[in-house]
Amino acid sequence: MELFETPLPGVGVRYEFTSAAGDRFGVIVRRDARRELLIYDDDDPDACRATVSLTGEEAAAVVELLGGSKVTERLSDLRHEVEGLSIEWVQLEAGSGLAGRTIGDGRIRTDTGASVVAVIRDDRSIPGPGPDFRLEAGDVALVVGSIEGVEAARRRLTA
Amino acid sequence: MSVPVPGVLAVSSVSTVLIELGAVLLVLALSGRLAARVGLPSIPLYLLAGLAMGEGSPIALQASTSFIGIGADLGVVLLLLLLGLEYTPDELSAGMRSTWRAGVVDLGANFTPGLVGGLLLGWGGVASFLLGGITYITSSGVVAKLLADLERLGNRETGTVLSLLVMEDIVMAVYLPVAGVLLVGSSFTDASLSVLLALAVVAAALMVAFRLGTHVSRLLDSSSPELLLLTILGFTFLAAGIADKARVSAAVGAFLIGVMLSGQIAVKGRELLAPIRDVFGGLFFIFFGLRIDPAELPPVLLPAVALGVVTAATKVGTGWWAARRAGIGVRGRRRAAAALVPRGEFSIVIAGLGTAAGVEGELGPVTACYVLLLAIGGSLAVRFVR
Repeated sequence: MELFETPLPGVGVRYEFTSAAGDRFGVIVRRDARRELLIYDDDDPDACRATVSLTGEEAAAVVELLGGSKVTERLSDLRHEVEGLSIEWVQLEAGSGLAGRTIGDGRIRTDTGASVVAVIRDDRSIPGPGPDFRLEAGDVALVVGSIEGVEAARRRLTA
Repeated sequence: MSVPVPGVLAVSSVSTVLIELGAVLLVLALSGRLAARVGLPSIPLYLLAGLAMGEGSPIALQASTSFIGIGADLGVVLLLLLLGLEYTPDELSAGMRSTWRAGVVDLGANFTPGLVGGLLLGWGGVASFLLGGITYITSSGVVAKLLADLERLGNRETGTVLSLLVMEDIVMAVYLPVAGVLLVGSSFTDASLSVLLALAVVAAALMVAFRLGTHVSRLLDSSSPELLLLTILGFTFLAAGIADKARVSAAVGAFLIGVMLSGQIAVKGRELLAPIRDVFGGLFFIFFGLRIDPAELPPVLLPAVALGVVTAATKVGTGWWAARRAGIGVRGRRRAAAALVPRGEFSIVIAGLGTAAGVEGELGPVTACYVLLLAIGGSLAVRFVR
């Protein structure tokens, strides 16, 4: 799924994507806790057919219903607050990059300065994996570092 | 600030001031409610209320004008502080990088008509420079509120509109100090030196905002709303006063404080300060109207309408062009074009700087007609272009 991010100065950030069924859908993440759900119009691609305004509490309830975790939301807040620090979730596909090898094999911290600070595997989180932690296909690694460092680490993990 | 004339502090005039101030605030409240009822921004109605209560009117204010004048000064300071707080340094720098081209087109297309219009009216260079600013600056307050009310924040063209508003904000950071210096009216060499100095101060403030903004803001932050408010207001009035003493206009000092504050303190500050800004901002709009004799309006009606028509068209062109560049469809382009037309608070702020310095008698009346026309007409355009 490809997610497009558009900054809305003075408001927050808008994310939009197209679902597999072809529905174009978006979310505005306000600078405060409010969220807006957007459903785009088929005839007028730039306009919304409907918008749903949610308070922080309502948004959290919807997140629970959709079965997600709140971690990403908190992290997206964090990302806006800390300048020069990049945080990214990296999904490891089967047969790609470091799947089946250890974090130490990838020499990520040595070469890129970025660190894998946590790994999510089968809805379990493994915080602070060491260099001998063996990554598997399907793992999601949380990488933190400078913007360039995280980009380099992402390439190393997936390529 | 104004010195009280003997007798102003006598008991009877205190009561007059309070009664008149109460009446003015109620007029603001009624105008605001009426505006909300018919779906218009409140600024044009505040202006009309000011005109109705001003010079030569049967319900002219007597004792409270000096107090309202001070309130109006605070209103400008707060308007500019909140404008500075509106965007984070990140948004400003991202805006500068991604939309500078559209920003240049916006400036060229909408500043020029005002400048030329002023010169055609036989005004001096400084007054024409101010009129250029007045026709350039879209009312971010009016537009942001309309887009939220009409549930268009999610529309794809809204990103284009908002990033243009950010660029205008950045341009104001340079424009206002330059205008402030020009208004002092010194010799050319003195003026160029002062302009350079003013720009150096702006650059320094922006540097502080980008480099140290988080530290400064963390240092000043407080969990108590009262202390936070006192801290922000204290620094703002101090900076505004110093800027005014240095003859670069209080508004600029307040704006720079707003730009410098970021992060948590900016988020909380916006929430706490917005209602205070609205009260004193309301007084500012009333006061601007108060000082205009309604009899001055008819002679400038024609040039103001002509300017309004031309600069509505140039904003429409700017919005259309910027939206097309961003890959927006035809209907979205139309909406983006209409969304840039409303002018409002900052046009009046710029004109207020000019009238306070007494540069051109017609500047106030022309701006009043112009803003009335484009705040109302522009809002209707935004609403009805779907």
